[in-house]
Amino acid sequence: MGSWYCEQSNENPLVISTRIRLARNLSDIPFPSRMNEEQRKDLCHRVEKAVSESNSPFSKSLKFIDMKDVPENERFAMVERHVVSHGFVADNRTRALILSDDESISIMVGEEDHLRIQVLLPGLQLEKAYDIAEQLDTLLGDQLHFAFDDRLGFLTECPTNLGTGLRASVMLHLPVMESRGEIAALADSVGKIGFTVRGLYGEGTKAAASLYQISNQITLGISEKNALDNLKIITTQLVEKEQQEQKTLNRLQMEDLCMRAYGVLQNARMMSSEEMMKLLSRIQLGQRMGILNSPVSPIQLLVEGQPYMLMRRFGQMGADERDLYRANMIRDKFGS
Amino acid sequence: MLCEVCGKNHATTHIRSVIDGVVTEKNLCGYCAAKEGYTGFAQNGLADMLASVLGDVLASGSPVAENRCSCCGAKFSDIAQTGKVGCAKCYQTFYNELLPYLKRVHGSTTHSGKIPNRAPLVAQQQEETVDSLRMKLNELVREERFEEAAKVRDKIKKLEEES
Repeated sequence: MGSWYCEQSNENPLVISTRIRLARNLSDIPFPSRMNEEQRKDLCHRVEKAVSESNSPFSKSLKFIDMKDVPENERFAMVERHVVSHGFVADNRTRALILSDDESISIMVGEEDHLRIQVLLPGLQLEKAYDIAEQLDTLLGDQLHFAFDDRLGFLTECPTNLGTGLRASVMLHLPVMESRGEIAALADSVGKIGFTVRGLYGEGTKAAASLYQISNQITLGISEKNALDNLKIITTQLVEKEQQEQKTLNRLQMEDLCMRAYGVLQNARMMSSEEMMKLLSRIQLGQRMGILNSPVSPIQLLVEGQPYMLMRRFGQMGADERDLYRANMIRDKFGS
Repeated sequence: MLCEVCGKNHATTHIRSVIDGVVTEKNLCGYCAAKEGYTGFAQNGLADMLASVLGDVLASGSPVAENRCSCCGAKFSDIAQTGKVGCAKCYQTFYNELLPYLKRVHGSTTHSGKIPNRAPLVAQQQEETVDSLRMKLNELVREERFEEAAKVRDKIKKLEEES
């Protein structure tokens, strides 16, 4: 299996990916913002040992990475692929990452919590992703004794994650709802039931390519199952709504919009990441509506065309040069 | 309100501190707050909200602000300012102070969901009540673990004598 962005399913083309994150901490060392370097090293060492001794079906595919050994371009490319958070790579203190071969499992050690267990899968796979995360949690917890309180659940550095420590999120492509200005109302209504809407690259980022992440905010007093069920219901409703609205679009206008985007992607000599995302979003919609029948995955291209993903592949370069390489890569893919 | 330091930007970070019982207030923009060392305020929406919610308690010069966690040394005012708890033990030390804010953030103060297999340190340290011990006793008897049950029975007896 490849990474989430390489394995886009046709079953539910509106749902791009599913992510589960569990926040866990050890009970005998302070939380990360109060840890010294020695404690950080000790933490990384203990987690590495727990993973290698856990004898789990996963442990063979998991590798331990000291973040100090990862070059800057690759670190930020990991953020662009959603493998790690921006805060995790921007920090220079000792941190480690445990990563599976296909990058669907990543455990950040020394982020805002001692461990952030993340499972990232393509499409809508909430139960499966949670199952994997939960198994890892049990295996590691048996050895590391995660901080847990009968009343408050799993203890986390930020009380907003207290309880289950679970953040479940789905990434959706909602171009029609966005074009009709319905996202603010959506954010408002899901906000009332404890969910939040964010852009492609998480907290505080504006939505690019009409990609939105919906995730639960409440972690205390609601079980994992209920949180996942609620997110599934919201996702299903949003998919239906977007599909309904898609049917009301003027076919000819949409064909024009998609084919123009296709033409630019096939021919441009320079392309900024903003323009790329805007155009690929139209191709994604065009493919869904049966306007375009191209084997190219817009989502894969969108991730591979991000600045650090390009530099990881073609070497360090400035913005203009990146625009050139990006346009070349896209032209190659669309075969012109 | 404009930022007290630069006088240009809108003040978005409001800091109340209590030093020797004297309350001082600062109203800063995100940039100047970061420059003064109040980092994490500008970028982290949720922590920011939590910090402002927790900060309310400091305005009253509450004495709890001076208690320190015996494990990591954090004061409640540290938690209120940063929105970050120092360590697992802090949740015991500042349980009563945190409770109303947990209620406001999550709408609940009681965990529902997964319980880990092994009883972790914090759970073990929790105070055992006669009720919780009686439940444990019943369970042990049902499972025919009589030796352990006898120990629990003695504990109940001791607790009842003390009260």
